[in-house]
Amino acid sequence: MITLIFCLCTLLCTHAGTIKVVTTIPDLKSIAEFVGGNKVSVTSIATGYQNPHFVDPKPSYIIGLSNADLFVTVGLDLEIGWSPQLLASSRNTKIQKGAPGYVDASAGIGLLQVPTSANRAEGDIHIYGNPHYWLDPLNGKVIGRNIANGLERVDPSNKSTYEANLQAFYKKIDDKMREWQSKMAAFKGTKIIAYHNEWVYFETRFGLNIVDFMEPKPGIPPSPSQLVKVIKEIKANNIKVIISSPYFTTSSSDVVSKQTGAKELTLATSVGGFESVKNYFDLFDYDITQLTATLK
Amino acid sequence: MKWKNSLCSFIFLTAIPSAACLAQVPADSTAADSALLKQIEQQMQTATQPAAQPQQNRSALSFNPDIGVIGDFQGSYISKGNRNFNAYLNETEVSLQAAVDPYIRADFFLSFARDPETGKYGAEVEEGYLTTLSLPAKLQLKVGKFREAVGRINPTHPHALPFIDLPNAYVNYFGDEGLNDEGASLSWLVPNKKFYQELVFQATSGQSESPTFFRGDNNRFIYLGHLKNFFTLSDNSTLELGLTGITGPNDSSRTTSIAAADLTYKWKPVQMNTYKSITWQSEFYYGHANLLDNFSINSIGLYSFLQYQLAKRWFLTGRYDYAQKPFNKTVVEQAYSLTAGWYATEFSKIELEGKATDNNIENRFYQAWLRWIFVIGAHGAHQY
Repeated sequence: MITLIFCLCTLLCTHAGTIKVVTTIPDLKSIAEFVGGNKVSVTSIATGYQNPHFVDPKPSYIIGLSNADLFVTVGLDLEIGWSPQLLASSRNTKIQKGAPGYVDASAGIGLLQVPTSANRAEGDIHIYGNPHYWLDPLNGKVIGRNIANGLERVDPSNKSTYEANLQAFYKKIDDKMREWQSKMAAFKGTKIIAYHNEWVYFETRFGLNIVDFMEPKPGIPPSPSQLVKVIKEIKANNIKVIISSPYFTTSSSDVVSKQTGAKELTLATSVGGFESVKNYFDLFDYDITQLTATLK
Repeated sequence: MKWKNSLCSFIFLTAIPSAACLAQVPADSTAADSALLKQIEQQMQTATQPAAQPQQNRSALSFNPDIGVIGDFQGSYISKGNRNFNAYLNETEVSLQAAVDPYIRADFFLSFARDPETGKYGAEVEEGYLTTLSLPAKLQLKVGKFREAVGRINPTHPHALPFIDLPNAYVNYFGDEGLNDEGASLSWLVPNKKFYQELVFQATSGQSESPTFFRGDNNRFIYLGHLKNFFTLSDNSTLELGLTGITGPNDSSRTTSIAAADLTYKWKPVQMNTYKSITWQSEFYYGHANLLDNFSINSIGLYSFLQYQLAKRWFLTGRYDYAQKPFNKTVVEQAYSLTAGWYATEFSKIELEGKATDNNIENRFYQAWLRWIFVIGAHGAHQY
């Protein structure tokens, strides 16, 4: 009897159609798909191979936002140049900041590199902390929790589904973490160079040691003096790899690579960064496979 | 095989006391998640990397609006007259922006600019308006003083344009300050799922300094309608077509109407959008000024520019202007200009422009400008 009532209630309370979710970056889309399952249809504004700081706010994105039930953002000012104005132009009250359909995925993240003062002489620093937190798989769980909370606010009738999906997502993260950790264990403390300061969460989780960046300061293109400094550091520390992202040119890394023999490695910073990186798990599979093969 | 995996897992778990992968995250509690994650992090990290504590910036916790200040320093040269060289702080713009309450937001742009005639600085409200956040039916209302929705140049603040001087045709119709008036603007996001369409209707008092319109001693206002169509041609290219109609009283207490069309093609490869791009933008104006009984002047004007991004920081913009003077269409101006821009960061850029102007009443003359734009404070929105 209880089951019958429950079924009836579920039927009656079920939302007509799917919940339309718009995320700023494809990593949030992937996690939203794991958590939302078949109850949601998710689109991402940015692709995985573009710089998430500098997405062009094309008016065409407003169409999707104006009809969305849930908006998911990385937050911490990562998208400050483009998402606030798209959101304001959407005329969609459901997804404005503070509304039930607005999800800041950074809520509850243990932030790294929170500056003690805000000074643009230090380059593109983020006053709330480094915003590239999705590159730690355990932060993926926090993102999942935040998205589930959002989905449950706008679609409470499917709460049990979202909770079950979330638990399955947690479990998959836990399972994959074993694999990733064991693959990376041999490289704990390995010194590497990165192009842009966007790997700190990945570095911290997997025990790498990023010695320096190709950019002299975040957002400032590599200068000759910085290249000289990096070349010296690579030689002194016998560094084997320079990691970069799909949206940076390789010209300066080429120079350093030629001078030192260190290998340039373009990793995926987001889902969709490369053809084979189709979801949040593929992202770490891809990066860790590439890294371990190069560092061997 | 299975026992092997289990054994491996066991050895691994014993060897690395992280237990991170076994994190059991309790349901429904982000705070608890976060606490647990922090605990795990602490376990994982050696003493070399103390876990950072989330911190809030004090200014973020106050109700102060986002504040930005934009400096625009210029040097200029003109080949005619006696005073050929000049240097001046062209404008200082202070922006103050914040949500007022859950229903509206406010944007103020205060301008401290130099009067080119007297050389004296004066303060004025360049823009100051509220925008609704929660109107139904995809409507948005803007009330206050604002740059009106004529094509692409007028709504843009001059420091954000890819050239230093404004196109001749534009200045002839709307003046150096542009059509920037007080009133109300209602815009509607057309429910078109194929492409972006926005319809804007604006009614303003006519007090602005534009040479075309004039607020007389009566109750006649300026009315403007603008339809913006935006097409995504591919991931890397877009096309915008805008149509504008404006009508209002002129200084003869009769009516001037302007029809305008703007067409913008942009190519910006998604993956390398910070390194290369091409923009081709044109606007066409047709003015019909009724000045006396049975006497009116029909004039046209246009500009077209091509901007090419050579590298991450380098932009080159070539522009052609054609303009009939709205008060005397037999005076025709044509101008050619080239601007090189070096964008150091999002917060500063240096531009150098050279321009040659021909018209049919005097000899060709040349102008050049150098400007340095610098921004402090809040991060402004990018333009598209």
